[in-house]
Amino acid sequence: MPTPPPIARKLKKVLIANRGEIAVRVLRTLREMGIRSAVIYSEPDRQSLPVLLADEAYPIGPAPSRESYLKGQEIVDLAKRIGADAIHPGYGFLSERSEFARMCREAGVVFIGPSPEAMDAMGSKVESRRRMIDAGVPVVPGGRDPLADAAGAAEFADSIGYPVMIKASAGGGGKGMRRVDSEAEIAAAFRGASAEALASFGDGAVYIEKFIVDPRHVEIQVMGDLHGRVVSLGERECSLQRRHQKVVEEAPSPVVSPDLRRRMGEAAVRAASAVGYANAGTCEFLLDADENFYFLEMNTRLQVEHPVTELVTGLDLVYTQIRVAEGEPLGPEFDDVQPRGHAIEVRLYAEDPFQKFKPSPGKIHLLRWPEGPGIRNDAGVYEGAEVSIHYDPMLAKLIVWAENRPRALDRLSRALAELRIEGIRTTAPLFRALLADPDFRSGNMNIGMLDRKLASGELHGLGTEESGDLPLIAAAIHHFERAQRATAVPRTTGRRTLWRAAGRRDALRPGGGRKG
Amino acid sequence: MDLWVKLGEREERARVRRDGDGGYEVTIGDVVHKVDASALGRGAYSLRFDGVQREVVVRASGEEALRVSGASAAWEVEIADPLAHLAATTGGQDTRRRHRKVAAYMPGRVVAILAEVGATVVAGQGIIVLEAMKMQNEILAEADGTIKAIYVQTGQAVEGGDPLFELE
Repeated sequence: MPTPPPIARKLKKVLIANRGEIAVRVLRTLREMGIRSAVIYSEPDRQSLPVLLADEAYPIGPAPSRESYLKGQEIVDLAKRIGADAIHPGYGFLSERSEFARMCREAGVVFIGPSPEAMDAMGSKVESRRRMIDAGVPVVPGGRDPLADAAGAAEFADSIGYPVMIKASAGGGGKGMRRVDSEAEIAAAFRGASAEALASFGDGAVYIEKFIVDPRHVEIQVMGDLHGRVVSLGERECSLQRRHQKVVEEAPSPVVSPDLRRRMGEAAVRAASAVGYANAGTCEFLLDADENFYFLEMNTRLQVEHPVTELVTGLDLVYTQIRVAEGEPLGPEFDDVQPRGHAIEVRLYAEDPFQKFKPSPGKIHLLRWPEGPGIRNDAGVYEGAEVSIHYDPMLAKLIVWAENRPRALDRLSRALAELRIEGIRTTAPLFRALLADPDFRSGNMNIGMLDRKLASGELHGLGTEESGDLPLIAAAIHHFERAQRATAVPRTTGRRTLWRAAGRRDALRPGGGRKG
Repeated sequence: MDLWVKLGEREERARVRRDGDGGYEVTIGDVVHKVDASALGRGAYSLRFDGVQREVVVRASGEEALRVSGASAAWEVEIADPLAHLAATTGGQDTRRRHRKVAAYMPGRVVAILAEVGATVVAGQGIIVLEAMKMQNEILAEADGTIKAIYVQTGQAVEGGDPLFELE
C-alpha cells in the first residue's frame, strides 16, 4: 500500500494552513530554502506575526476557527488560485484530518505530511491497536473481550501480571473501574465492577487491562521518506503535564539509556512502517519504572515540541519534511541519529498560574526575549501585539540547549530571568517554581506529578520571594514622577501643542527651522 | 512628597524627594534609600540603590494600586496620599465603597446575565458570565448589596475595563 514514489519536484510556493508560532516556524525554513511563503489569516489575525513575515497573506474568514482555519476546501481552493504547489498544515487545525489530505491530493496540491491512508490507520484507536499488535509493537497488555466470570478474570489477570485495571466495556467516567493489586482481590473486584457497569450503562460486561503505575510519557520522533525508509530521531520526555497538556518537554529523557532508546526507536519504526508512514510523525509511549514501554498512539504531524529534537540532533525537521514531500530520500545524516547534549522546552501560555491558570488575553505592553548562548525562542507574538481571546493561548516556546541536563536547567533559569513580558500574565512563574522543585531537577517525573503538586500547593511557594523595599521604592518613585508630570503639564496643554510651540520657537530663531 | 504604601500585610509611611545629584531619596518607614532611577519608558526603570541594580516595570493596577514586576516576581503595591488614606479609613470609605462598579477584567463576550437590576445579591454570587479564550468565567458580586445598574447585554463584546454592573 505504500504510495508510489512521486517524481521529485522542487516546491516553489507553500501555503501554511495555520497561525501563531507554528506558522512562523514553518515560514522561517521556507525562506531559508528560497521557497515563497503564503499564509492565511482570520480577521483578528490581520496584524499577527506570521502575516508580517510572510511573502503573501490571504484572509480566510472571521475569528471562529470553523469559519476560518478549519475551512479545508476553501484553503485548498486558495492554494490552487495562488499557485501554491503544497500546503503545510502545522499542528492542530487540519493537520490530522485525513479528508483534508485527500482534498489536497484530489486538487493536485502536495500535503506536507503522511498519506491520508496512514492517517486513517493511526486515527482509530481500535484499528491502530490491532495493527500495532500485528507489527510486534508493545501495547498496554489486556483484552477488549468481555470476561465471562470471576475465574476467567483471575486467569487473565494472572497472564498479564498485577496490578491490573478492570474496566467497563460500555464504560467511561471511571464507572465500573477497579484497580486490583493481587489475586486475593480479583473476584470481589470483578463482581463489584460488573454490578456497577450494569447499573451505570445497562451492560455488565467488563475487561481487564494492565495497570501501569506512575508511567512516564516518552515519545519517539520518526521520519519517513516516500521510498519506504523510516528512521527514529530519538525520544522526548513529556511527562510534565497539566490536565493532559504537555507543559515542559526535553530531549533526551533523563532515564532512557542508549539500549532502551534503540529498542523504543525500533518499535516506533515498526509502528510507522506498518502503516506505510512517510514524513514527520511521533509515536507516544508510556514507560514504566522497569523500562517496559507501551504504544499509546501516533501523532501524524509535526509536534509542538519538535524543537528539542532539532536541538539535540542538529536537524531541521521542517526542512526534512519539505525535502521528503519533494520526493527526496532521507540522506546518510539519518543513518544513526544520536542525541548530543540536552534540550528543554517550556510552553509559555497567556494564563495566570496564580489564578488557576485563568486565560490572560490583552495587549503585550512590553516584551523582551532572552537571548545569548543556547537559547531558541519560537514565538508567535511581538511587543505591541494583541493576544486574542479566540485561539489557543500559547504565546511562545522557550527552548534551551546545553551540554548536559544540569547545565540546561541552569540555562533555562537564566533565560527566565531575562524574559520580560508585561501587560498580560504568563506561565513563566510556574517554570521558575518547577526549577526549584527537587523532583523535576533530579528528573524524577511521571504523568500525574505536576497535577498532584499543583493540587497539593507544593509548587505555590511560586513567586513569594523576599522583596525587601524594592517594590515600595519602585512604586513610590513611579507615583512621584506621575504626580510631577501631572502638575508640570496642565491637562489643557496637549503634547502636540508643546511640540508645535517648540517648532515655532526653532523657526523664529535666526538660522533656525529644519532644512534639508 | 509624603505617601502611604502597602505591600501585602506591610503598611508604611513613605517619602520621596529629589536629591541634589539627579537621584531620589526614598524613605520607607524609617529607612532612607538613596536611589538612582533611570526611566526606560513605558513604566520601566533601572533602579540602583543599596549596592544593587534592579530593572522593574511599574503599571497601574486598579484605582490606587501599582503592579511592580521584577525579574522573577511581581508585587501589588497600594499607594495613596496619607491624608486621603486616613479619610478613607475613618468613615470616608463608606461613601466611596458603597457604589461599586465592576468592570470586565479582560476582553470577552457576555454569554449570560444572572441577576436583574434591583435584585438583592450576596457576596460571591455570580452576576454575569463572560466568555473569553473559549472559557466561561463568572463575574461575582464582591459584597452583599443591590444591583443598581447593568451596563451590558447578553451577546455583547466587551473590552477589559468596560463596566459590567454596579453594586450598591
